[in-house]
Amino acid sequence: MPTRKVGAVIPEMFRHMLEKPTTEAYPFKPIQLTERFRGKLDIDPAKCTGCQVCSLVCPASVITMVDLGTRKVGDRELKVRRPLFDLTSCIFCGECVDNCAFNALELSKQFEIATPNKADLLMNKAVVK
Amino acid sequence: MSTPPDQQRREESAGLMEYSTESLVPFGPIHPALKEPEYFKLILEGERIVNVIPRIGYVHRGLEKAAESRPWVQNMYMFERTCGICSFVHSLCYGQAVEELTLYQVPRRAKYIRTIIAEMERIHSHLLWVGLMGHWAGFDTLFMWVWNDREVVLDLVEAIAGNRVHKSMNAICGVRRDMPENMTDRILERMKFLTDRARYYREVIDTEETMLKRTENLGRVSAETAEKLCAVGPMARYVGLKHDVRLNDPYAAYDEVPLDVITSNEGDVHALLKLRLDELIVSANIVSYAVKNLPDGPVRVKVPPIIPAGEHASHCEAPRGEIFYYVKSTGGRTPDRVKSRQPTMANIPTALEMLKGQTLADIPIVLTAIDPCFGCMDRMSFYDTETNKKWTWSGEQLRQYGINYYFPERAKQQRKFARQMGSSVNESLREAL
Repeated sequence: MPTRKVGAVIPEMFRHMLEKPTTEAYPFKPIQLTERFRGKLDIDPAKCTGCQVCSLVCPASVITMVDLGTRKVGDRELKVRRPLFDLTSCIFCGECVDNCAFNALELSKQFEIATPNKADLLMNKAVVK
Repeated sequence: MSTPPDQQRREESAGLMEYSTESLVPFGPIHPALKEPEYFKLILEGERIVNVIPRIGYVHRGLEKAAESRPWVQNMYMFERTCGICSFVHSLCYGQAVEELTLYQVPRRAKYIRTIIAEMERIHSHLLWVGLMGHWAGFDTLFMWVWNDREVVLDLVEAIAGNRVHKSMNAICGVRRDMPENMTDRILERMKFLTDRARYYREVIDTEETMLKRTENLGRVSAETAEKLCAVGPMARYVGLKHDVRLNDPYAAYDEVPLDVITSNEGDVHALLKLRLDELIVSANIVSYAVKNLPDGPVRVKVPPIIPAGEHASHCEAPRGEIFYYVKSTGGRTPDRVKSRQPTMANIPTALEMLKGQTLADIPIVLTAIDPCFGCMDRMSFYDTETNKKWTWSGEQLRQYGINYYFPERAKQQRKFARQMGSSVNESLREAL
């Protein structure tokens, strides 16, 4: 049978009273992010070749490939495709970044992406039109 | 001439009402923001629960069917989202089942990293649970302190995996990220800190009047009953059954790390509290050992997207108990069948046994004691069969009722405080007081 007393919590209580608040002063001070933090996706359109690997591996079906006509390489006509990212359903897993062979994608440290306009979260719009 | 059916029914029910001393309390079922809400039909005699009838399946999300239309790797991210607390262990268990079909070996370093993350997850889950127990027992200070310490382990997880909850760490045959450099000292220091804190909370729980009064001799189940009802995880260990997948069928690096399986013979909710805190210390030891003895080598083997035909079952020890995944492949890009079983499902029959004989005031604390994955306590309605009166209690009111039942002096003070505060105190709260 354990002994009943109140004493165990009292020193701890005083310690916490003298400490500064443990919560982050977030909107007033910028928050400290870790090195590996995964935020909003960034794409470098110049490096993207439209190989569509990212759209195949995405678990949340964020990426759709859009046809942009054709281009001629030698005698052959090749389709030109570019990805369109719908970040409203992105889960920030980084699978597309890992699988991009041309280093066109990266996850930035930006996490304040809430917006009243859904179209703001469509990425690569400028390329796709 | 026979009586009309309506009148006959009324007479019958009137007769029943005269003799019945039992009342029915529907408990639940749904809080849309949480996973796995449940509905318990409680039959009370006076203040005591004599029978409980559960109804499950309110948020059937069709995960298993959805898995059949997604590629193997993408399923890993979906199953990680089965739970918002023990997310890593789900992807680990699914991954292990798939790895057995691929014939590739998981690198040893990856196994160690998996062990480290899984144990950190156990620490954070157990701390979360201890805090919640404090909250429901009316000891909110403990809740605040424990959740403050939980940040320590979450920060470590964030530094390793990039996210606090959904780590996206697992890949088929390995992990996606290596351990960061120069983290060893930091992890060892934090684990020592958490061990000290767990020892301190154990002392608090053993001596504090509030916790003792609310948890001692509560929710007693015999070892035979628990074994018969297939209790898993801490729910089996608190009655003395040595059931732990990490010991019985080691996965990841559990066959190489020092593992103590804690069991208790007391068999009440108070023993569960002590057991989970002791397990936390064991987990901290495992993390420290694994970080110190981390082997060199690759962390991942690349696997082709097509998995050979076959079937395999895998089980792991999640913080709440044993989880189970069955995977069947026909040699395609997507699984043919995936079956998953979570520990709360296995622990519900035992929870019902724990509830029998308890008072209405003990429902929140007994249901929290099984570490459930559902948020059914936010709605509760009463139906008095004698006066035909109906009324509803929110989770907060039920909690207040529980506290008042055990600490009437404190309730008196709170009533006084509520009178002084006047209209600024929530109307519904005042009713509960």
